[in-house]
Amino acid sequence: MGNFLSLLAGFQVALAPENIGACLLGAVLGLIVGAMPGIGSLAGCALLLPLTYKFNPTTAIIMLGALYYSNMYGGSFSAILLNIPGDSPAITTALDGYPMARKGRPGQALMTANLASFIGGTIGILILTLTASGLATLGLKFGYAEMTLILLIAMTSISWLIGENPIKGIVITMLGILVASIGMDTLSGAPRYEFGNMYLLGGVPFTPFIIGCVGFAQVIKLINEREADEKKRAGEDSKTKLSIRDSMLTKHDLKRMLPPTIRSGVMGTFVGVLPGSGATTGSMVGYAVQKKFKSEEPLGTGAIEGIAASEAANNAAAAGAFAPLLALGIPGSGTGAVLLGGLMMWGLNPGPLLFDSNPEFCWGLISSMYMANVFTLLVAVLVIPFLIKILSVPVKYMIPIITCVCIVGAYSTSNSMYGVVIMFVSGIVGYLLDKNGFPTAPMLLAFVLAPMLEKNMRKAFIASQGSLRIFVDSPLKLVLLAVFLVLVLTPVVKSIRRKMKARKAQA
Amino acid sequence: MKKLMALTLALLMTLSLAACGGSSGSSTGSSSGSSDSGEFVPTKTVTWICTSSAGGGSDIFSRKISEIMTSENLVNGQTIVVSNETDGSGEVGRNKIATMKGDDANYNLLTFNSGDLMPMVTNTKNRSSNFRILAIMAVDKQLLFSCPASDSKTDYAKAGGDQTDFAAAIEAAQNGTFVVIGGSKGDDITTYQKLLAEVGLSEDQMGYITYDSTSDAITAALGGNVDFVISKPAAASQYVESGDLSPVLALSTERFSGNLADAPTLSEIGDYEDVEVPVWRGVAAPAAMSDAAVAFWSDALGKVAATDSWHTDYLEKNQLIDEYKDTAAATEYVTAYEADYMAENGLS
Repeated sequence: MGNFLSLLAGFQVALAPENIGACLLGAVLGLIVGAMPGIGSLAGCALLLPLTYKFNPTTAIIMLGALYYSNMYGGSFSAILLNIPGDSPAITTALDGYPMARKGRPGQALMTANLASFIGGTIGILILTLTASGLATLGLKFGYAEMTLILLIAMTSISWLIGENPIKGIVITMLGILVASIGMDTLSGAPRYEFGNMYLLGGVPFTPFIIGCVGFAQVIKLINEREADEKKRAGEDSKTKLSIRDSMLTKHDLKRMLPPTIRSGVMGTFVGVLPGSGATTGSMVGYAVQKKFKSEEPLGTGAIEGIAASEAANNAAAAGAFAPLLALGIPGSGTGAVLLGGLMMWGLNPGPLLFDSNPEFCWGLISSMYMANVFTLLVAVLVIPFLIKILSVPVKYMIPIITCVCIVGAYSTSNSMYGVVIMFVSGIVGYLLDKNGFPTAPMLLAFVLAPMLEKNMRKAFIASQGSLRIFVDSPLKLVLLAVFLVLVLTPVVKSIRRKMKARKAQA
Repeated sequence: MKKLMALTLALLMTLSLAACGGSSGSSTGSSSGSSDSGEFVPTKTVTWICTSSAGGGSDIFSRKISEIMTSENLVNGQTIVVSNETDGSGEVGRNKIATMKGDDANYNLLTFNSGDLMPMVTNTKNRSSNFRILAIMAVDKQLLFSCPASDSKTDYAKAGGDQTDFAAAIEAAQNGTFVVIGGSKGDDITTYQKLLAEVGLSEDQMGYITYDSTSDAITAALGGNVDFVISKPAAASQYVESGDLSPVLALSTERFSGNLADAPTLSEIGDYEDVEVPVWRGVAAPAAMSDAAVAFWSDALGKVAATDSWHTDYLEKNQLIDEYKDTAAATEYVTAYEADYMAENGLS
């Protein structure tokens, strides 16, 4: 009850005209920034931070919060339309969103992403409102062993992205892990695979790598298949839906997207709360779990369920990540760290005392998230017709534009040409892999998850002095382990059963 | 169609401008700053490279100094642009400064801490002699903290060990109960190793988990994943105030003051020598910087260290020790520190 009273007071703060303006501005900027691959919320917040010094802290954080939040919407746009995930949580969105857009339903794909984001985000914020600091403490209950198990569950999503050829799939997954292990070992500080190169000491940066593998590889493919594509497009053009009304989802679509959205929304919030996991793990766990539920079309071929599961989870996780930031002063992500830096510049001390010492600030921020969510949905729906036009831009214009976007995105990660080099190299490698029938998605997932898994597993083993009992000594761990085993073993058991049945039938 | 293209192009331009804004600082003006009398006065924008990401301790240090330099008009009305260059764990930024030549060398500064020096000499051929050390601005010390109210996840906590008593933890470790300490990279590892050597334990008895940052390590302590956490006063003070963390051991030759005064030093809890690893924060510049410019910057940093703003808004706020050393003293100090560190770790 106390929380609701505080929330109402928070709305009073958030509904002040200047705060509404800041929220709207943040939402629009966030969408734009999010839609540009590579310039994720981290760069967006970092660029905006100096502008906000003149504001009072509440207005400033509301604007940054709205920006961070709407970014998650924006990230899905380029994923769906161009197959270039705008940020890492959108990798799983691209898996179904792009095929769906290619099937001639880009409007519905975007609408699904927007709606799922909205519902997922709202679930996240509701949970945040109800539990606030309690949620953050729950996150602390998770030790390394629990995190390891959650990451293992997320890892299972790789297995069925692998495609028809398991050997190629395993090779590509291993390649992802290998690339991820370049750089300084975070636990011992020992350099790995750096070959005396100073740049490699810091590892392969994530954003340029992903932009290259997916985005730039796509450009090379477009160049090679230009003519065929143009012919295909000429036939498609008349079919592409352009108005908002035409992008509306049918009742049947809604029915398909709701269950995964709600499931992922709740799950995503809790994943977001865990220190150091964030939206990326959220969307991957959401997607992995969705695989175990029934989808009308198989995931990965343009299923609405797939888009809904990953988008809802990543927005919910973005909301959940605010719990440790506000209640404990722990940033869950790079963007969180920038926000934290901002808080300190404004003279606020993020940490366990923030909720007590600056309640109007904390609750103002939380209530502004409700507002930001509504604003972003409105803006995002309104821009759908314009976005879809991107699809009808002739390839000869798209190639230079996407190349530009890729270069800018890769450069802006660390303001250096190193990112651009990585982008080009991984683009060429990505194209060659794709051309030879190696799916790139497992590599990207392995690249993101393997370092987190390694870190948590090694910490668990340090704490237990190498004993495996640390993975089974509490009920929560056993449950997680059971979920993991079920996910891994179901296909095996199923195929054995099928074989036995076949044998019986023969006999 | 045309509208869309125009919009896309406009967007691209805005974004590329914004993206380049951070690093285009040093391109204005080209005349050398040295006046006829051989004295150096900056006449163009200064770039300050910080090899840690925005928002962290080193970043705040760099920005605070540049803010004071600008507001106190110590840099002839020029702007200082702080550029966070984190490629290659900071080695790329450090190497860029070390090898910078010509006029640029007078206009580039680098935040250089003990935590930067350690990985640099371990992993690269770069040495402090490849820089001009302009000044040391402050020294930090560490403490061990614990969170006795956290869930018991470690062996020591499960065995009922008292996380507020380090002497008891040493005894438990000697008797075979595993005790685990958490901390950040660089300085904290060195401090842990010295502590371990002093109390005569091995890594199998008292382990160490490395975190990316001190705040991550504190999170781990709050979650009960480690028994003790090494931290500087600034990062932990919020948690001490709220009662989540308790100071357990001062890694210093004397006790701290204020809310940290309860923590004894190592010599107080047993027959040990005190362990103290001073963590310094300094400023470096390219080796090719002219002597006149070195004198100018060292002097300007000295003036910063004497301001009220530096004392109240930086040192006191972060509980740092005021210890300004000018370029000569700082160079001597850093050289000796580097030699010690390399000898201890078998580096050459």
